[in-house]
Amino acid sequence: MLECRNCGAGAPVDEHFCPQCSRLLALGRHGDYFTFLGLPRKLVIDANELERRFRDLSRKFHPDYFYNASPTERLASLERSSYLNDAYRALRNPVSRIEHLLAIEGLPSAKSDEGTAKVPPSLLEEVFALNEELDEIRELRESGTDPETLRTRLDTARAPIEAKREEHERQLQDLSARWDSQEVAPAPEKRATLDALRERLLERNYINNLLASIEREVAAVAHG
Amino acid sequence: MGKVVGIDLGTTNSLVACVENGRPVVLRDERGDALVPSVVSIDEDGTIFVGREAQRRLLTEPSRAVYSVKRFMGRGIEDVREDAGLLPFRVSGETGGVVRIGVADREFTPPEISAFILRELKHRAEEHFRKQGEFDFEVDRAVITVPAYFNDAQRTATRDAGRLAGLEVLRIINEPTAASLAYGLDKRNRGTIAVYDLGGGTFDISILKVEDGVFQVLSTNGDTHLGGDDIDRLLVEMVLSEVGRALSGAPGGPEGSAPQTIETIRRAVIQAKWDLSDIEETEIRIEPSPAVRMGYRKRITRAEFDLLIHPLIERTLEPCRQALADAGLEPKDIDEAVLVGGSTRIPLVRRLVEELFGRKPHSELNPDEVVAIGAAVQADILISGRREMLLLDVTPLSLGIETMGGVVSKIIVRNSTIPASGREMFTTGVDNQTGVDIHVLQGERELAADCRSLAHLHLKGIPPMVAGLPRIEVRFQIDANGILSVSARELRTGVEQAVEVKPSYGLTDQEVERMLIESFEHAEADFEARLLIDARNEAESVIQATEKVLRRSETEGVASELLDPGERERIAAAISELKAAMIGTDRAAIQEKTHALNHATQHLAEATMNRTVREALAGRNIKDV
Repeated sequence: MLECRNCGAGAPVDEHFCPQCSRLLALGRHGDYFTFLGLPRKLVIDANELERRFRDLSRKFHPDYFYNASPTERLASLERSSYLNDAYRALRNPVSRIEHLLAIEGLPSAKSDEGTAKVPPSLLEEVFALNEELDEIRELRESGTDPETLRTRLDTARAPIEAKREEHERQLQDLSARWDSQEVAPAPEKRATLDALRERLLERNYINNLLASIEREVAAVAHG
Repeated sequence: MGKVVGIDLGTTNSLVACVENGRPVVLRDERGDALVPSVVSIDEDGTIFVGREAQRRLLTEPSRAVYSVKRFMGRGIEDVREDAGLLPFRVSGETGGVVRIGVADREFTPPEISAFILRELKHRAEEHFRKQGEFDFEVDRAVITVPAYFNDAQRTATRDAGRLAGLEVLRIINEPTAASLAYGLDKRNRGTIAVYDLGGGTFDISILKVEDGVFQVLSTNGDTHLGGDDIDRLLVEMVLSEVGRALSGAPGGPEGSAPQTIETIRRAVIQAKWDLSDIEETEIRIEPSPAVRMGYRKRITRAEFDLLIHPLIERTLEPCRQALADAGLEPKDIDEAVLVGGSTRIPLVRRLVEELFGRKPHSELNPDEVVAIGAAVQADILISGRREMLLLDVTPLSLGIETMGGVVSKIIVRNSTIPASGREMFTTGVDNQTGVDIHVLQGERELAADCRSLAHLHLKGIPPMVAGLPRIEVRFQIDANGILSVSARELRTGVEQAVEVKPSYGLTDQEVERMLIESFEHAEADFEARLLIDARNEAESVIQATEKVLRRSETEGVASELLDPGERERIAAAISELKAAMIGTDRAAIQEKTHALNHATQHLAEATMNRTVREALAGRNIKDV
């Protein structure tokens, strides 16, 4: 429950305005972007719907419209607008949307730092092959091999990683759809989906790092 | 409550606008001129001149004038050395501190100089409201525009300037966004628009999505050091190199780069630049004068001009591409491109923008005035609470803090809609540590050394605990002005932490406070100076009018008819008494003697009037007959 700082009435945590005096409520310790935007906790979101809600709420909260209000309401406007903008940014992007879902479902963060430490088992083979190839290319570059040859080898090395990434994107989409269909499923099943989503995200970060290391070598080749 | 205005505080020119009867109007002087040149000139006796008068003085007393001060706002000396070389005023400052501008024996910070310009705009607006017969004509609040790509320090400096000018700054808004608001007034349609804003000193590109009256900025990019000034400088350098050559063998010695020489050349090349927006060929023409003894003439074609400035204009294209990429768009997704800023009158600029976006850019509204109009509209939204329109802008640069090894950890990424907030957890490194230092930066680079230092924060009063135990949550809040504030709280104890902020390139609150007090003292002196000037001018015009009538009565041989015996002597005495008073600075004495002269000439004025009327009637009679 939130307490209205104007009239003292109680309000549910997902309310924006006090049901009693209709003043803008202070933000409190809100942690859920879906609820804040009035959306179900689902991963497939209609982008237009998200934008419409963002615009509508912006029109309700924006500090522009609270210029003449009390200091309490002005602060509430600033906090709610900031939170709205954060929520919109996080939910607009499918990956940060999954990250947010994992966070509010109580799973540990899937941010890159933790992901890069150890190689995900499913990627061991690719990583091993790529690192070897990159080492060789680096040596060839340093001994002055012609850039065109190196570029061709880099393209060849990139192909399987790109394929992996596409596969992952598909898996993320499938898992997202599964999560959305599990509204009334037993908790362990939902948890399994979340765990799988988290694993895919960690792998995805790792794959992106691999692609980045290929791009660094491409740049090194280009600059001679 | 006083009046509210919108202000475009530009590098070259500034404007003020307001909303009247629901329509935005740009406020003009008696000559219909909306532009107030952003030039400040400080007289020997400390009198401040702003605008056209200051611009005139720039030619006669270049070392007493300051222009393009916007380029110095929120910057350090190390940023502006390149500019300082060709400017007539002294620019100094310690490395890693606020720039100081020296005029004669006085020193000013850039916000103080900007405040003089803002005061002039405030004065112009107050005159306007007074003439409208408004009882309460004081202007006390304003929306001021800044380049979208201005960082926190530059925005804060602008807000400080507003405060120093006695204005409550309702909001700092971005120039391209303001322009889109002005354009959106007529066509309340939807779509994706690109605003290309090339002004006197800065370049901005903003990509916006407009729907249901919400103007949502998707991305922005730019260069706060690229504009018409740079074009002028290229041309000045070109002429200087040739004038220098011509002079090397000439008698009289080289004029070098004396301020007067540069200012004379600058005016000539600006005229040529303007010409080339309309015609294919013109002449850079400098008449021989003490400043440029030999004079100078050179024909220049638009093709030659384009070739010279192409690299500069080219520099605007990369930010455009970056803004598109950040918005996740391709050039073909842009429904409309809008041109803002005086430099977009240059045909080459229009051509390159058209090529980039694949469509003819809009320029229906006056590119000099459109930003001020948008600012006035935004000011009206803020005070009226009308909700038809809403601007949602973004922060142009990522905000971060320095971590171990000088690496920047980003807390709020660029192009986040503002207001935006971010949190970061800190703890202590040694037992019973009660303070933590945090270095806040803005920029996109990985290393702190490559980003813009905003401030050093010092968290104080952390409850003594074992190292690593405190959980200090630092909250970074960027408000709707794009300006940062910081608060901190130790979560275990719930104790709110004091945060000491030492801005890297800004003024502390205490410094602004001190300047404010000084400016009040000066404001009185400035006001007194203005009244004194007015009184002298009034006296001068009465003397001139009297002398003219006396001369005419002599030449027409009617003096004895108009003047009573002894009257001429009485008038002559009144004139010499007034002239004596005008040498001094006693305004009351000047006014008193002016009054006395008026009184002494009353009979003469009536007699002259009667005679003129008689003659006119007589003339008509003759003609009628």
